[in-house]
Amino acid sequence: MTHATATLDQMRPPVPAEPGLPIYNNKLGMWVFLASEVMFFTGLIGAYVILRFGAPGEWAKPNVVLNVPLTGINTFILICSSVSMVKAFAAISAGDRKGLSRWLLATILLGATFVSVQGVEYWKLVHEGFTPAGFTAGSHITELVAQGKLSDVTGGLYGSTFFTMTGFHGFHVTCGVICLIYVWLKSLRGGYTQQDYRGVEVIGLYWHFVDLVWIILFTIVYLI
Amino acid sequence: MSSLAAAAPRAPTHHDDRTFVQKYIFSTDHKIIGIQFLFLSLLFLFLGGVLAMQIRWQLGFPGQPMPGGGILPETMAPGGVILPEYYIQLVTMHGTFMVFFAIMPLLVGVFANFLIPLKIGAHDMAFPRINMASFWTAFLAGAVMFASFFVPNGAARAGWTMYAPLSARPDLSGADYGQICWCISIVLLGLSSILGSLNYITTIINLRAPGMTWFRMPLSVWCLFVTAILGLLALPVLSGAAIMLLFDQTLGTHFFDPGAGGQVLLWQHLFWFFGHPEVYILILPGMGMVSDIIANGSRKPIFGYHSMVFAIVGIGFLGWIVWGHHMFMSGMNPTLGSTFMVTTMIIAVPSAIKVFNWMGTMWRGNLHFHVPMLNAVGFVAMFVIGGLSGVFMAATPIDMHIHDTYFIVAHLHYVLFGGSLFALFAGITYWFPKMFGKMMNEPIGKIHFWLTMLFFNLVFFPMHILGMAGHMRRIYDPTQYEWLKGYQPMNHFITLAAFALFATQFLFIWNFVWSLFKGRKAEQNPWRDNGLEWTLPNPAPHGNWEKVPTVYRGPYEYSLPGAPDDWYPQSSKLPNDREPAPAPAPAH
Amino acid sequence: MATTAHKAPNYILIWAYLFGLTVLEVLFAFEMPISRNLKILVLLGLAVWKALLVALFFMHLKFESRYLRLMVLVPLPLAAIFILAVITEHVW
Repeated sequence: MTHATATLDQMRPPVPAEPGLPIYNNKLGMWVFLASEVMFFTGLIGAYVILRFGAPGEWAKPNVVLNVPLTGINTFILICSSVSMVKAFAAISAGDRKGLSRWLLATILLGATFVSVQGVEYWKLVHEGFTPAGFTAGSHITELVAQGKLSDVTGGLYGSTFFTMTGFHGFHVTCGVICLIYVWLKSLRGGYTQQDYRGVEVIGLYWHFVDLVWIILFTIVYLI
Repeated sequence: MSSLAAAAPRAPTHHDDRTFVQKYIFSTDHKIIGIQFLFLSLLFLFLGGVLAMQIRWQLGFPGQPMPGGGILPETMAPGGVILPEYYIQLVTMHGTFMVFFAIMPLLVGVFANFLIPLKIGAHDMAFPRINMASFWTAFLAGAVMFASFFVPNGAARAGWTMYAPLSARPDLSGADYGQICWCISIVLLGLSSILGSLNYITTIINLRAPGMTWFRMPLSVWCLFVTAILGLLALPVLSGAAIMLLFDQTLGTHFFDPGAGGQVLLWQHLFWFFGHPEVYILILPGMGMVSDIIANGSRKPIFGYHSMVFAIVGIGFLGWIVWGHHMFMSGMNPTLGSTFMVTTMIIAVPSAIKVFNWMGTMWRGNLHFHVPMLNAVGFVAMFVIGGLSGVFMAATPIDMHIHDTYFIVAHLHYVLFGGSLFALFAGITYWFPKMFGKMMNEPIGKIHFWLTMLFFNLVFFPMHILGMAGHMRRIYDPTQYEWLKGYQPMNHFITLAAFALFATQFLFIWNFVWSLFKGRKAEQNPWRDNGLEWTLPNPAPHGNWEKVPTVYRGPYEYSLPGAPDDWYPQSSKLPNDREPAPAPAPAH
Repeated sequence: MATTAHKAPNYILIWAYLFGLTVLEVLFAFEMPISRNLKILVLLGLAVWKALLVALFFMHLKFESRYLRLMVLVPLPLAAIFILAVITEHVW
């Protein structure tokens, strides 16, 4: 299975131009947009780093507040959705329109599962007393504090950074799922062909990026 | 294939069947979007000036009722006397309006949108609908920011730099809804900027006309390209910071709350990591336009085109590693501070290269001091002053004395007003015929320039002296300090000069509005400029060219020896010109 | 200048690598009796390895023009500079 160069050139706009980058505008635009997203998450992660390094007390250890095994499985689900996305791309670049729709649907379901698991996780955490503002008094979390398993001096920071970083990532995944649904519906109508599958490649790039950010975030937030 | 044709920029259709709304309101034409940005940002420029006049009233006539102040609410200015709570809103919103909604959209939203496709020979931007979204998002952001004056408890009030914890704690600042409005507006503006930047970058990389190689692009386009990269990568950090601030205000998070372990220095690092590239966003497009205009007004090629390009790229790169010079007095790590001092001094070098090149361009040139040229030369002169004060402040020991004083205010106004705004007056006058098909009035333009130059210097030069004397920024009543009482006559003088400066701008407003309706009809190339945009009729039609032009030379071929005319358009073919290398043909 | 024709990467193999590295990471975070700093270094290294796999193979960067790769690299030093600068605030 090879990527046909002809299809790539046919996806370029039919306007004479000085050679720029050998990729079509939509793809270049998405890569440029992803560069800005790198900077957005850098700001959030930078904030986390400075707050954690300068924290006035001990930071929570992994798996005390957050459920690492469950999130590990969730990470795996997101990675699988990345695989299904790239399989969708491979399908349409080989001309398999039915395969495209099937793999897109798989990606949507896996992505939606990821967001749902995160949503449930959030609900449970808030229920247990772990909120963006910190630890709620009289909750299960404060029992952990009393048992010495958790310092409540850094509780507020822990909550602030956790919910903001994972929340914005989850927001990006949700936007990705919505766009994927649009692409999937269009694929059902035959909107993508082996000659022109730009939309699939472009949403694919976004989706892989979202997975990539999660790979970094999972390590930094849950494991360290 | 239909999606391909729909999304790609189109050649002009002879029969333009767009409705009025499609043509002028929800337009995807980059020229109309540029003009929409022009009207929006000129409005905010005016509003920012109105705020400045109120600030100057308080400083020049402290505690006295302001003429017209009766319309202000009693909680802000009882009997027209400005209260400190209102004063700090004025100071904050003057900065916010001017930086985010006047200068930035004027330089980038207007000129990047209007000029880039025209100057590189494209039908339109790479993503016309995203371009439209970028304008309307900016419009929404502006509306939210303006509305923040009218919400309960008034507008945000921690300075345009919005330092925490003052900005994060409504109990400290007094502003709650207003602060939330500020954060939301900034996030929206960031989004508008990012959408615009990705359009400009993609268009410049992929949609240049055949023969328009990188080193045949006008310097205005180079500057806009680097500016777009700066905006793309800096605005997301600001958005992140504004979101964290919003969460501190609304969700009870503790990012900037020292009591719960948060750090105020975090805000400063985030803000200035964005903020320094931002100030280069605010000057680079002006530098680019000035380069084009000075070459034109000197009838000479720009001196040192390649070094200009490297200087632009150098400024763009170095601008990322100097942000700490805004934080010398913040208590940050001193080693970090020293590093920033060194990098800040280094960044003066590429700017100096540009200044010498502008002077080299003018040297022995056939100088035509048309209004844009006057403003462009004024830019260079004022920018040198502002830049020199910047190098001075780069030295940490000196900055310790003058940080947060009027010396800084003088510096920033020399580069933003003396720099960017003069460049804008030059650019608006220069490309007015392209936008509207009419010329702006030349005598009024000249009078406006000279009066602005005079009053501008009378307002801002004394501020250097005030700053050295210890007159701090954003202060409501300097006379509360013994050592500043003696400087009050200077404040008074500055205020009177500021009123004169503001009044002078009505000349520009009058010129602009009158010329829109009654201006002299412009010939196709009134400035005898080489740029591709001047090969089109005024105003340029939808889709620009029927067929994309071919480019045979650089943009500054003025006064070519042996030539019949002192200018040579980029797309005119001479017998000796070679066709550009054909684009690689698709495989099979 | 079109993308050079190339054979599609073995996506399932990459997926297996990613799965394996994730398991390794989770185990490492809990089990290994090594110093904390070394642990952080290893975990970050594993994360970066996974990220590179996604970027190079799923996003096809390995097969794209070198100019695109260069362009994509641009924000990374900026991100690194920012993070390093804020770290030094607490490491005098």
